[in-house]
Amino acid sequence: MFDIFFVQQLVNGLSIGLIYALVAIGFTLIFGVLNVVNFAHGEIYMIGSFAGLMAITTFAPPLFVVILIALAAGALAGFGLERLAFRPFRRFRDEASLKSKAIREATLLSSLAVSIIVREIAEKIFGSNMQSIPQDYLLLKPIQIGSLSFADGQFLIFGLSIVMLGGLQWLLKRTRIGLSIRAVANNPMGAAYVGINTERTIIATFVIGSTLGAIAGLIVGLYQGAIFPAMGFVPGVKAFVAMVMGGLSSIGGAVVCALILGMAEAITTSFFAQGWGDLVAYLFLVITLIFFPTGLFGGGRERV
Amino acid sequence: MTPLLEIKNVSRYFGGLHAVEDFSGQVQRGERVGLIGPNGAGKTTLFNLITCFTPLSAGSVFFDDKDISSLKAYQVARLGIARTFQNLRVMPNLSVFDNVSIGALGALGHSPFSALLHHRNYAKDISRRTWDALEQAGLQGQASEVAANLSYGKRKYLEIARALALSPRLLILDEPAAGLNDTETAQLGEFVMKLSKEGLSILLVEHDMNFVMTLCERIMVMASGRKIADGTPQEISNDPVVLEAYLGSEEEEAA
Amino acid sequence: MRRIISVSLLLAAVLIVVPGILTLVGGGYWFRVMTTIGVFSILTMSANLITGTTGLMSLGHAGFYGIGAYATALLSTKFGWPFYLTLPVSGAITAAFGILLALPTMRLIGIYFAVATLGLGEIIHVTLLNWVDFTRGPMGISAIPGVTLPGVFTASDTTHYYAVAITALIAAFVLGRLTHSYYGNALRAVREDDQCAASMGLNVVGLKIQSFAFACFFAGVAGGLWAHTTGYISPGDFRFSESILILAMMVVGGLGSLPGAVLGAVILLGLPEFLRPIGDYRMIVVGAVMFFSILFLPRGLLGETPVLTVVRRQFGLAWDAKSNLGWRQ
Repeated sequence: MFDIFFVQQLVNGLSIGLIYALVAIGFTLIFGVLNVVNFAHGEIYMIGSFAGLMAITTFAPPLFVVILIALAAGALAGFGLERLAFRPFRRFRDEASLKSKAIREATLLSSLAVSIIVREIAEKIFGSNMQSIPQDYLLLKPIQIGSLSFADGQFLIFGLSIVMLGGLQWLLKRTRIGLSIRAVANNPMGAAYVGINTERTIIATFVIGSTLGAIAGLIVGLYQGAIFPAMGFVPGVKAFVAMVMGGLSSIGGAVVCALILGMAEAITTSFFAQGWGDLVAYLFLVITLIFFPTGLFGGGRERV
Repeated sequence: MTPLLEIKNVSRYFGGLHAVEDFSGQVQRGERVGLIGPNGAGKTTLFNLITCFTPLSAGSVFFDDKDISSLKAYQVARLGIARTFQNLRVMPNLSVFDNVSIGALGALGHSPFSALLHHRNYAKDISRRTWDALEQAGLQGQASEVAANLSYGKRKYLEIARALALSPRLLILDEPAAGLNDTETAQLGEFVMKLSKEGLSILLVEHDMNFVMTLCERIMVMASGRKIADGTPQEISNDPVVLEAYLGSEEEEAA
Repeated sequence: MRRIISVSLLLAAVLIVVPGILTLVGGGYWFRVMTTIGVFSILTMSANLITGTTGLMSLGHAGFYGIGAYATALLSTKFGWPFYLTLPVSGAITAAFGILLALPTMRLIGIYFAVATLGLGEIIHVTLLNWVDFTRGPMGISAIPGVTLPGVFTASDTTHYYAVAITALIAAFVLGRLTHSYYGNALRAVREDDQCAASMGLNVVGLKIQSFAFACFFAGVAGGLWAHTTGYISPGDFRFSESILILAMMVVGGLGSLPGAVLGAVILLGLPEFLRPIGDYRMIVVGAVMFFSILFLPRGLLGETPVLTVVRRQFGLAWDAKSNLGWRQ
């Protein structure tokens, strides 16, 4: 009944979906706290990948060190991005202007500008082609289970995603900074009145979101063997689609939709040429926006 | 003669919340009607229902004997119902003149071809209507200023001028006196009275009781989405049900 | 009178002074640079109608530009149509596509519209790339005839400059009439507060669709000009980065300002030409100029409000000569 090939595609789709989920969480966190779209999130993904690659080519550390380096690079990049593209536009402190349309559009444009600059600088330094990755680090060793064959990268993606998703839940639900993030997302003014440092919380959100994105970038780069300066755009858009489908500020919704998206793409590419797979995400996006303007899970959303 | 505006058994539910329930009421031609009620009684929701901003859950609204319940907001405006908003909604980056011209555009329609083909008479009509409305509201001196630079009180008049440029038959004012001092409120009352004398019917929500009692010929009282009283200012101020609704709600708030 | 002087000065500058200077500095290459600037001026002016005036941020304009370019390329290579047919027909096809694709997204506002248009632009790009039978995919379409009229003029860099310049003037005229008029006031009202505009009797959805249709028409014409003047197009010319370039031009020049759109195109395409000696940093310049103008010049170099005032006075479009407030059309 179940075609082996089909199951194989589903698993592939699931692992890509998990990557989209990691990227989408970063979007969702930032959107939740500031109500802005961070267009440079895809570049964080690229930075994570390149940081890992540079570590590999310079001193060939074990994989988990590479991951830690990507993590640090992501955190740093997230911090820098917030200071550069978002902080200058928060000139006023009242709630109306913190989440106003003007700020939203200004930061959308500024993050877009920063993303162009970062990508182009990366292209100037590394060239726009795919980078060569040392064979030992490619996560493509086949692992055979019954008649299904997986790559070891897929296991790493599964394992790491689950750890990170769990860690994020713990962070948001059980720690003080998580509480602040949820409070600021709910009501920035209220949070400020009860003594939460909004600035620090916003930075923390960017750092956490960017860390997830950077690690996703690294693993995908090693798993697909494709690390190049423009690599962040497509996953960025797809993660964004997942966020919109999931109802914009729901992490759970974003994760589920990212998985749906990943699997839908894998299934499409098994029937059509590779290139058409990208179309799925955009069609999902447009269809969702038209028919489910509050996301698939009907989360409450203000008219923006 | 039939009333200008007839609201028949109108309801609006938001999920389980009955924002407006089975509300019926009328505005006669040339009448000044006040709508009062404690906070959260559903007054603004009722306005949104009349102007078709929010779709009705049940009931119907007739304007000049025409059923408007299923129309779109802009169609209702073109029929002659103009409104102002509780939280001032002027267009801050446009000049006062351009702001008011929006109302005239709504009344006369807008087509890209009128602009492409240079329809002078159309432009003349819009200009004339805009100046008329500006003069009525006493804003002709500030016509070239950017709306954001006007004082709060002037912006209230700007909103009314924009509504007047539509040449409405019914003017709906949502808390026109909010944020104004006593002198300004009195001036606004005179202005609204002058508009009414010129034949405009008026329906307004206001918390300033003095303003409502002196200005309006008839008052409808709302509480928890329902109409609980309807009568002249004297009748309303002596109505025990009304007093209870106000005091009762205050007790609830205190608790 | 003032109006006649202003208009003839503009025409003289575009049709005589600029080509004169270009010939003096060496022709050929600089004509091609100016042609590109002209095409992007048309694109930016048209995108400005949606994004600047009507307030719907479009991140997919390059997609519509691509539809126009492919329509022209296919019509002229497969059916041998001359430019005076391909350009308007491509514009019309693009406008029709624009309406069809954008109709369902018209209810969206703010960033949702922006993202939906990004999706539309990418759908168009992916389709151009993968529908190999029709578009020849990544190989693109080559040998597109230039702008020629047998017996009158033949295709050359100068001809192409004039074709683009005259089309840009027509686009500026039409888009100027649309925005510098009471109709433009209606569009700006939709941008400022769409609910309020609806309560004043404006058909908000209608206005959005109309502005989208006009913008797509000129994007299509610009695409057609690009195809004719370069002779070769491929899906890479119509990527997301081109949409961003257009957006950056609008932001730098001033959202909602028609001369600003042209100035933005001149700056963002002209500046890299002068920086060429130190290497090809085109997109970095674009990003940096965009970033700093958002930060320090949020209204752009030629902001909308002062431009409207000047246009009313200088081009005689104001109704009341004393106050220069209304519109004459």
